[in-house]
Amino acid sequence: MKHPRVHLLPQNNQLKALMSIIRSKDTARGDFIFYSDRVIRLLVEEGLNHLPVVPKDVITPMNEKYEGVAFQGRICGVSIMRAGESMEQGLRDVCTGVRIGKVLIQRDEATAQPKLYYSKLPADISDRWVLLLDPMLATGGSASKCIEVLHESGVKEDRILFINLICSPEGVKRMLDLFPKLQFVTAEIDEGMDDRKFIVPGLGDFGDRYFGTSD
Amino acid sequence: MPKSSTLLLKSSGRPIYLDHRPWYSSNGKNHEVYVIGVAGKYNLPTAQGGSASGKTSVARHITKNLGVPWVVIISTDSFYNVLTPEQSKRAFESNYNFDHPDSFDHGLMVEAIKKLKKGLATDIPVYDFSTHSRSPETQRVYGATVIIFEGIFALYYPKLLELMDMKIFVDTDSDICLARRIRRDISERARSPEGILDQYKRFVKPMFDEFVKPTMGNADVIIPRGMDNTVAIDLITKHIQRQLKARELDMMKHSLVRRFSKLSTLPDSLIVMKQTPQLKAIHTIIRDKDVPRSDFVFYSDRISRLVIERGLAELPLTPHAFTTPTNRSYDGFISPQYICGVPMLRAGGVMEKALRQVIKTAVFGKVLIVADPKVGEPRLHYVSLPKGIPKYYVFMMDATLATGASALMAIRAVLDHGVPEDHIIFLAILAAPEGINAVNNAFPKVRIVTSMVDPCLSKSSLTISPGFGEFSGKYFLN
Repeated sequence: MKHPRVHLLPQNNQLKALMSIIRSKDTARGDFIFYSDRVIRLLVEEGLNHLPVVPKDVITPMNEKYEGVAFQGRICGVSIMRAGESMEQGLRDVCTGVRIGKVLIQRDEATAQPKLYYSKLPADISDRWVLLLDPMLATGGSASKCIEVLHESGVKEDRILFINLICSPEGVKRMLDLFPKLQFVTAEIDEGMDDRKFIVPGLGDFGDRYFGTSD
Repeated sequence: MPKSSTLLLKSSGRPIYLDHRPWYSSNGKNHEVYVIGVAGKYNLPTAQGGSASGKTSVARHITKNLGVPWVVIISTDSFYNVLTPEQSKRAFESNYNFDHPDSFDHGLMVEAIKKLKKGLATDIPVYDFSTHSRSPETQRVYGATVIIFEGIFALYYPKLLELMDMKIFVDTDSDICLARRIRRDISERARSPEGILDQYKRFVKPMFDEFVKPTMGNADVIIPRGMDNTVAIDLITKHIQRQLKARELDMMKHSLVRRFSKLSTLPDSLIVMKQTPQLKAIHTIIRDKDVPRSDFVFYSDRISRLVIERGLAELPLTPHAFTTPTNRSYDGFISPQYICGVPMLRAGGVMEKALRQVIKTAVFGKVLIVADPKVGEPRLHYVSLPKGIPKYYVFMMDATLATGASALMAIRAVLDHGVPEDHIIFLAILAAPEGINAVNNAFPKVRIVTSMVDPCLSKSSLTISPGFGEFSGKYFLN
């Protein structure tokens, strides 16, 4: 899938091997966490590439000029609970002291629609770029609800970077259609979804595997 | 009971690669190691024998006179055949012929000397006289400039003679030789005087006359009176020194730079990371001469991790089908298991941390190369590489690839330990075209991965310009 607002990690050998490990149902939990964290770090690094920079020249210890750039604008993370929280450390590892907001969205059994249960966001979030963290994007229900929440808090849509590990083609298409300025960073786009709306081949329930709640 | 390893000497007791100057030319090829064969009569003075005047002493004296710290003496005794239980029993009864050329594994000898001559790391067997078998451990010899191979049959085997640059026969008085042999065999090999004399009459003397004495004809030089003949030893030493001098090549940094600064193209073996805004921003931070040290360390670590990840992407894949928790099959891949990091100290240590963070099972070697302050030529101070390194993919790591002088040295050392060239990936945060081309010229199959390539080296200091200055000082100290 080629789309100017979809930024796929470079599909190199190492990424393929890492994705193989975390997708395998036989991978032990320790390894699942370790290798997921590795891919998350790559995703965060890729995400930061889409933040604006301004030219900045510096003088090196060689007393030569280096024509560089500097980060512009402040950022924050927003994790979609629970799985999104697994990505917070990867963000903190590269942006020390970054502020992180949280949003809990679950399916309302009565309406079958995603419903906001909880949100706690930085007070000045409307001035910031937002890295929205959610490893699995299936239907895009909770993710789109979450972006609505961010809208209501004054975040501009073109300042939202969705950081995702695996998505379904339907999910990513829906997000791009609903939010025409959203930037989307992911490691792999899968075949589709099964009857239960799980991404296939996928990797199962990311939160259960990462936090150890499946058994 | 001593093992034959006591006869493998490292001159002055120092590690042989200490202060080692380049043992290869700027095209990365090893010089041949200078091999001296020293044979003589059937004595083998003990390592403790102070007044000894036989082959070993002559060899040691030459070593001392040469005044270079990387001479290794190897004894033919290390290559005795492993005895069957029956042969071993006879040996303990002083009834086994140790003084016959067939008592030695000369195939192994030739193989070892051939490897050593090419400058490759070589495992020398350790013979255990108490069991008449080889010890499980071996002695690794690497980085010698001169190899002295000594023993009664050192000049016997034609294939060995072909490998020797100088052949010496030490001729000493027979009575003294016998006396020494008795003393050695009693103190070191737990034999009785009667047994030794009997063995002398039955094996040693006839064997010498039949096999060893004729090898005097193979020698370039015969030294009468052994150790006492200081004139002969001095003459030999001077000759060797002259020949070694002729092999020295201009390996100084300036000459590398002169040679490779004219090239305007960069080779295919170079992989430069995608020049993203983020990467450029990190460079801007670490290159700034006024950057606070904590930021320098933090962003150096971050960029190291990115370089490591890019380097790992060079590993080949094996296809493998996986099943996901949704019970679907996923056509995945497996990355090689054997990953070895070799940081070039100090700066490469920064990337060692990053590699540890991503490959839990990685093993690590270490290389310490320091530039001689006077001539700028690299000196190998220390090299330690994991056993079994030939089966690993090796990631060599340094903060910068500038002139390529230390990179050439470190890669040469890894190759000499049996790693295939295309299994070596050289990682540097920053590189200069001169160093990239120097490495590529010598080792075209070594891949070079870097986050950025600067325009050139500074003519005066030979550091990368604009660069980020001296990396490790900033990272570790100030």
